[in-house]
Amino acid sequence: MRGARVYLLLAGAAFRAEFQYRGNLFINIIGGLFYQGVGLAFIWAVLDRFGQVGGWGLAEIAFLYGIRLTAHGLWLLPGHQLIHVDEVVIEGDYDRYLVRPVPPLVQLLTRRVRLSSLGDLAGGVVLLSIASASAPVDWSPGAVCFLLLAVVGGALVEGSLQLAASALVFRMKRVSPIKFAIDMIFSDFGNYPLKIFGPVAGFGLTFVFPLAFVAYLPATVLMERGEELAVPEWLAWGAPAIGVVLMYAAYRFWERQSRHYESSGH
Amino acid sequence: MPVIEVADLVKEFSRPTRQEGRFAGLRTLLTREQTVKRAVDGVNFTVQQGEMVGYLGPNGAGKSTTIKMLTGILVPTSGTVTVAGATPWRDRSRNARRIGVVFGQRSQLWWDLPLRDSLWLISRLYDVPEARFRERQRQFSEVLGLGPFLDTPVRQLSLGQRMRGDLAAAMLYDPDILYLDEPTVGLDVIAKERIRTFVGELNRASGTTVVLTTHDLDDVEELCGRIILIDHGKVAYDGAVDELKARYAPHRELVVQTDRLESVEGAEVVRREDGKVWLRFDPVRTPPAELVAAVLERHRVTDLSIVEPELESVIHRIYADRG
Repeated sequence: MRGARVYLLLAGAAFRAEFQYRGNLFINIIGGLFYQGVGLAFIWAVLDRFGQVGGWGLAEIAFLYGIRLTAHGLWLLPGHQLIHVDEVVIEGDYDRYLVRPVPPLVQLLTRRVRLSSLGDLAGGVVLLSIASASAPVDWSPGAVCFLLLAVVGGALVEGSLQLAASALVFRMKRVSPIKFAIDMIFSDFGNYPLKIFGPVAGFGLTFVFPLAFVAYLPATVLMERGEELAVPEWLAWGAPAIGVVLMYAAYRFWERQSRHYESSGH
Repeated sequence: MPVIEVADLVKEFSRPTRQEGRFAGLRTLLTREQTVKRAVDGVNFTVQQGEMVGYLGPNGAGKSTTIKMLTGILVPTSGTVTVAGATPWRDRSRNARRIGVVFGQRSQLWWDLPLRDSLWLISRLYDVPEARFRERQRQFSEVLGLGPFLDTPVRQLSLGQRMRGDLAAAMLYDPDILYLDEPTVGLDVIAKERIRTFVGELNRASGTTVVLTTHDLDDVEELCGRIILIDHGKVAYDGAVDELKARYAPHRELVVQTDRLESVEGAEVVRREDGKVWLRFDPVRTPPAELVAAVLERHRVTDLSIVEPELESVIHRIYADRG
């Protein structure tokens, strides 16, 4: 409870600080929307030409894309500052977080807010709302619940990978290339039905790099296409739980690795 | 009662060994060889409740590494640190509530928000009751003169104002121990004096234990009764400032403005300049009064003074001897 209160307190401060530069606000949000819009336009162009990708039409892919993008925005809003973990650790700014009665990770995540993540989230929500209406899903209350859980789980899966990669900073000093690579995999592979990449990549993107749990598995079972999956359906229904487990493991890993923090100068 | 206990403290930093020759960069990246540097090498000391200790050493002596282990920022390679009954890096949150930390080079305040907001945020983070917070803020505004810039964003404050803000932030929740790391670096004389007065008063009034690292020995002479000197990761001296001077610089100098002075018994001429003569003597063997009488008896003197050794030259001497 105290944790949540402290988080809101610090996040509020970061928002107030950001509003000192009000001009940035709209530019950032629009920038975020635009960036993701380009990705969607690309898929639309592909589908317009080929009609279907792996048996999925525009409505199905837009639904998958909507889940992925909303999960991405949902993670980015609180998690964006991890992008600066290199500089914070190398320059020794992390020192300050270690002498306050608040978990250092919370302080790192609330050091600033990047409002462009609001653009990602807004874009995701709008797309997901529209796509949900046209996607072949039987919207029972249970299905709606599962969709919400899946989006949160997807945010946790992406966040856990970024957090685990960030935790390497304490030993490796420079991890942004790794994190950039993770981000690339998410945006390059995350928006398509994974089966089009073949069984090997499908296996890898499920069990080695758990991308499938973000959007592909939940979207597939919601659209009752479970039979085309290479994994049992119950695993797809369990995607939100996988997110929770991964995030817990990533946080433990972060805590352990942070003991290797060396500060700057001696 | 000791509040800080440090026993056999060691901190090593290891880096991949730098390779030479062809593809040096790539081989450095891939090597498993490690170069180990021992920054702190078996340090022991205790600090009593209410003490003010100067922790000194040249650059790279292991000074800030020790402070970082005391505050819980770094985890030691071996040895123990106990601060107010807890191990700082294990019990980070509890430790944080008991200590105030001011880094001269790095502000703890929210850069883009007014100072007032930073103080309020800290009071919430440390669960300071509203009434107590208001009282503390009023106190600090008075003593540190925060009033005129409470509503200015921290990034627009001068260095001196920012340091005062940082001090207020560090003491807002009444910690038992205050760590000051180079608190007066880059400040002008008046700002330095203001900070020293505040810290001295704090220690007298509330018995706050203060651990101070600095390059400005005036800070130490004015505030600390005790100093710990560290060199090459080891404690080179731990004791009273006066004792250090007596041990390493037992001499005084008598400076005489006079016409012509060749020599005096019991003292040695060490310098001549602008009609002044510096006479070095050992006050135990040659009592100052006798020396002055002897000089006055034989020479026309227009001015004279006795100079105490400065801490700075004493410390220079110690490092020179050891190095």
